[in-house]
Amino acid sequence: MTAPVTFNGVSHWFGAFHALKNISLEIGEGEYVTLLGPSGCGKTTLLSVLGGFIEPTEGQVLIGGRDLTHVPPAKRPTTTVFQDYALFPHMSLRDNVAFGLRMAGVGRQERRARADEQLALVGLADAAGKRPHELSGGQRQRVALARALAVRPDVLLLDEPLGALDLKLRRAMQDELKDIQRKVGTTFVHVTHDQEEAMAIADRIVVMNAGRVEDEGAPARIYRKPATLFAAGFMGEMNRIPARASGTGVETPFGPVDITPPAEGALVLCLRPEAVKHANGTVLIGPATVRDAAFFGTHCRVHVVPQAAPDLTIVAHLPPDRVPAAGETLALTAEIDAISVFLAG
Amino acid sequence: MTRLAPWLYFAAAYCFIYLPVGALVLFSFQEGGLPVPPFKGPSLKWYAQVLGDDDLMDALLNSVVVAIGSGAGAVGLGFLAAYGLARHTLPGSVVLRGLLIAPLTVSYLIVGLGLLIVINRLGLGLSLWTAGIGHVVINLPLCFAIIYASMGAQQQNAERAARDLGAGEAQVVLLVTAPMLMPAILAAFFLSVTLSWDEFIIAFLLTRFDVTLPVEIWSLLRSGLSPALNAIGSFVFLISVMIVLALELLVFGRRRA
Repeated sequence: MTAPVTFNGVSHWFGAFHALKNISLEIGEGEYVTLLGPSGCGKTTLLSVLGGFIEPTEGQVLIGGRDLTHVPPAKRPTTTVFQDYALFPHMSLRDNVAFGLRMAGVGRQERRARADEQLALVGLADAAGKRPHELSGGQRQRVALARALAVRPDVLLLDEPLGALDLKLRRAMQDELKDIQRKVGTTFVHVTHDQEEAMAIADRIVVMNAGRVEDEGAPARIYRKPATLFAAGFMGEMNRIPARASGTGVETPFGPVDITPPAEGALVLCLRPEAVKHANGTVLIGPATVRDAAFFGTHCRVHVVPQAAPDLTIVAHLPPDRVPAAGETLALTAEIDAISVFLAG
Repeated sequence: MTRLAPWLYFAAAYCFIYLPVGALVLFSFQEGGLPVPPFKGPSLKWYAQVLGDDDLMDALLNSVVVAIGSGAGAVGLGFLAAYGLARHTLPGSVVLRGLLIAPLTVSYLIVGLGLLIVINRLGLGLSLWTAGIGHVVINLPLCFAIIYASMGAQQQNAERAARDLGAGEAQVVLLVTAPMLMPAILAAFFLSVTLSWDEFIIAFLLTRFDVTLPVEIWSLLRSGLSPALNAIGSFVFLISVMIVLALELLVFGRRRA
């Protein structure tokens, strides 16, 4: 069961607070989309609008082409995996998972069988008789997922589902979620504030800020060529280098860069730490003094000060084979493909 | 000495609490005609007399019916009020909540008199029903307070999940809210039953021909002390203990599990 979702000019106010500002968004059938943004950006509100828990002040929500803007959660082809799991503590796992089927009037035998099938899908087949309080956080998460999937929704909503798990478990659950989504083919809409989680899991990321969509697209595209300065900063560590437009290029403290400026005036040049290289890059940063360096296993994280711009500190991720010493001078370059320029502001 | 002191204090405190009950139970087995020392040897004759007294046994049964009925009524109304006020924002919620709890501070005598006036005005006639209504009035604030206090975000989230999975409002309350609040609901119920079981003033004012046990005991007391009264008292005490034990096992035992 799967369906596309369309938001049509959705706006929402909480009293005087404008939580969603005219959001229009298409989510494809069977797509795994994450809504990514800082707290208060409206991502959870948008998910609640999709789940039917909030009626938007303006706009429409279409699921599978039907306008469901004013339909309550119980009557929507959506189910939610809540942040705190919201399992029913007085029921066994099997009864938890079968709850939606029971509400749909499915007979006892069949719902038992289907609940067991869902529990098997999340790897909890032998715990069907247990109560939620006997489980670990990760296992509760799986039960919540099985319960939401048991009714075969067209769209599954996940509200920061991995927020309460530790890092290692979170990475494992990300892979598993992706895997399960491929198996069931349901459209997944997943809210998170963790950009690594979003990149690990999503077919498409929707970056939100202050009630607006800042950028949407494939993780790699958003990471490499973000549409806005906010999206650039939120998707990972970023060097923000003050720059100015000069003709068809951009003037930076360490020299000109051959990239088309978006407008005249003060600009910000965004450079990912891993785009800084020792040599062979297309953009010359020139000799730079190492302030400090730390070994991270996959790379060395180095703070460097370009000699051409002594007020500027750049974070660079250099190959881990050699840790530069503080005070050492390195000749640095960067990849033009990994540079974006935005209007300062 | 300093080691003994806490134990002495402990013994004294428990004597203070349990000596009157102990004396009551002891002299219910008195051989003679007065429940006062000296103890003249054990006898069960007063129990035989009490058990053979139809009026007393009727009153005992009436008390059980009124206690369970009014307890159920108070818990039902208290739960609905708590659910409504916890889940919906009404104009004047704070005032409504205050008004529900305020009767706790009014003496039973005043509540009883008020009800007596209202019931006479309405021409309802006094019966076990009116005593039961009186007990609902005094126990409702307590039930409301206990249940309302245990309604937290956990139930609210589970209710939201139930609605998301297709449950209607009645199903949400019956299958999710009430079972999750069962410890509080049972605690409120047993407390109401115990309070109604012991209650005298309201039962005295609001019953006429069929009376509850405390009222029957009071009318027996007017004809003087007798070990028979001790036997009834021991009975009442035994039943109260059983209610407390049931509460302990059903509510607190469950919570530990």
